[in-house]
Amino acid sequence: MTTQTDYTDATQATGEAIIELEEVDKFFGDFQALKGINMRVGRQEVVVVIGPSGGGKSTLIRCINRLEKHDNGRVVVDGIDLSDDVRNIQEVRRETGMVFQQFNLFPHLTVIDNVTLAPRQVRKLPKKDAEALAMQMLTRVKIPEQARKYPGQLSGGQQQRVAIARALAMQPKVMLFDEPTSALDPEMIKEVLDVMIELARGGMTMIVVTHEMGFARAVANRVVFMAEGEIVEVGTPEHFFTSPQEERTKLFLSQIL
Amino acid sequence: MSVETPVFEELTVEVEPARGPMDWVRKNLFNTWYNAVLTLAIAAALMLALLALARWLVGADFEIIRVNLRLFMIGGFPADQLWRPWASTYLIATMVGVVAGSLAAGARDRASEAGVPLIGTTFGQIVLRFWPIIALVVIILAFTTTITPALLTIGAAAAGLGSYYLGRALPRTVRRWTWLIALILLVGAYLALAGFGGVGWESWGGLQLNLFLTVAGIMFAFPLGLLLAMGRRSSLPVIRTISVGYIEFVRGVPLITLLLAGAFALGFILPRDLRPGLVTRMLIAITLFEAAYIAEVVRGGFQAVPAGQVEAAQAVGLAPLKTMRLIVLPQALRATIPAMVGQFISLFKDTTLVAILGVTELLDATFIVNSQPDFLGKGLFVVTLGFAGLVFWVGSYTMSRESRRLERRLGVGER
Repeated sequence: MTTQTDYTDATQATGEAIIELEEVDKFFGDFQALKGINMRVGRQEVVVVIGPSGGGKSTLIRCINRLEKHDNGRVVVDGIDLSDDVRNIQEVRRETGMVFQQFNLFPHLTVIDNVTLAPRQVRKLPKKDAEALAMQMLTRVKIPEQARKYPGQLSGGQQQRVAIARALAMQPKVMLFDEPTSALDPEMIKEVLDVMIELARGGMTMIVVTHEMGFARAVANRVVFMAEGEIVEVGTPEHFFTSPQEERTKLFLSQIL
Repeated sequence: MSVETPVFEELTVEVEPARGPMDWVRKNLFNTWYNAVLTLAIAAALMLALLALARWLVGADFEIIRVNLRLFMIGGFPADQLWRPWASTYLIATMVGVVAGSLAAGARDRASEAGVPLIGTTFGQIVLRFWPIIALVVIILAFTTTITPALLTIGAAAAGLGSYYLGRALPRTVRRWTWLIALILLVGAYLALAGFGGVGWESWGGLQLNLFLTVAGIMFAFPLGLLLAMGRRSSLPVIRTISVGYIEFVRGVPLITLLLAGAFALGFILPRDLRPGLVTRMLIAITLFEAAYIAEVVRGGFQAVPAGQVEAAQAVGLAPLKTMRLIVLPQALRATIPAMVGQFISLFKDTTLVAILGVTELLDATFIVNSQPDFLGKGLFVVTLGFAGLVFWVGSYTMSRESRRLERRLGVGER
């Protein structure tokens, strides 16, 4: 197997790793979802993860904020080693924002309450400051006018943008996106991708599981192709469009492009 | 299933111009010959039943209720202490008023924040909303022999209304403490009955006892049930096993068994000085029983909360307890309102079971008055049981209506 060495691409990013995965294994019962993953992500780098479903993409990013516990190897986020220490886990979660395929907004809270919840409860910001921060984030995702509505009253695209604002309100150093546009109607995908592109251009470190190759071409520093729990191929977006090396990569790309 | 046909037709002709009531009758009640026969037969049966009921109501002897009304309401509460139940009633009316007013003010503020026009409540709507209770109070007052109870009742209603407006006028900072005000008033209502030389619950009876056992049972069983439900989901095997074992044991036993165990076994186990009174033991048995059922209801609610909610809360760094309190519980409890209220309704009715241990609650009182010399052998069970049935129906039906109302209102924020 000719897995490319995946050291941090220093050309566009700062060259300093913020996420490091070393020989990470993850099992679900007998099924091995991740097989000895090695990966480093640099500060301000944007990494797009593609690959067939069941290939371990979601599991990979869920191990980075401990929604899944890795079984072997090391996961280090911004110098914090993810061990069983609850304080470390909480600290890593404060530094990473996550956006889910199904939005997972809190349906019993208004949009603004969704966004202020964590700043108030975790960062202990006073209500006024938290709301000012939330409005700033909602403006960034271009829906400040929906602040007093409930998630159920918004379209899918609007909900996903609220979810992005909710994650940003914790002022994370890393943003993880787990197929953020897969549950959206086609006409709403662009509004979400636009917000993500702006975020990337603003210098946010991002790991994005998506099949939106247009997004990858626009802002990704690297694309990682995963299948069967392994990293099969790593390269620039251009590399994947023009000269993918592995058979599995070619087959997969022929199906989605 | 021929009866379904008219309903279906009614749905499909919605676009037609409005027609008179006679058209509706023809279309729905007399559209086929057998429907016409059914309509006439049911109408005749209804008429006969109503006629019989009216004739019975006119002819029945309600003296037994008039004489025993106080026994039905408050059991053997000392006659020279009657100011106590009234004082308690006033405090509870005040509590209900303040809480309702405070909630209304909260809704008003939220609506204005969201820029949504607020639909105000008119007096007529309140009457419509609580008509069963109002009707019951009027019926009960009709059985009183003096004007005093009616005047005092009007006074209590006025106190409730006044404190409603007071609750609405409270500034936001004070409103945050409404629960504390309510608690103080509730304790005050109890002290008005039992404190300072009053009568403790061990000697209560009648409807007052049923209401006490229901409210106290809910107040104690709810937190315990919540803990059991959480225990059942705990990752610690010991806690999980204890919770599951407790729930399954209690649910496998009839309430009467627990009441008997409370009356006798608890009496044996505890030394004489520590032994609580009979009613207290009944309350403990009811609480332990209800907690197991509430735990199962809450568990159903937990299952209705998608796993993604917990993940999203974890992802923003919320600690487990806060995730439970701020994210899971509000959604889980919302999903369980119908089942929970159903549980409360059956608790209200189950409080009559303490009668088998000689505690004179309302149902028992309506039974034993038939042995009074004046009424013995007159066959007035129908009258007294009818009265008890009416009281329980009004209580249960009101709870059921309020639960549906709450469901509709909370539905606003649903996904």
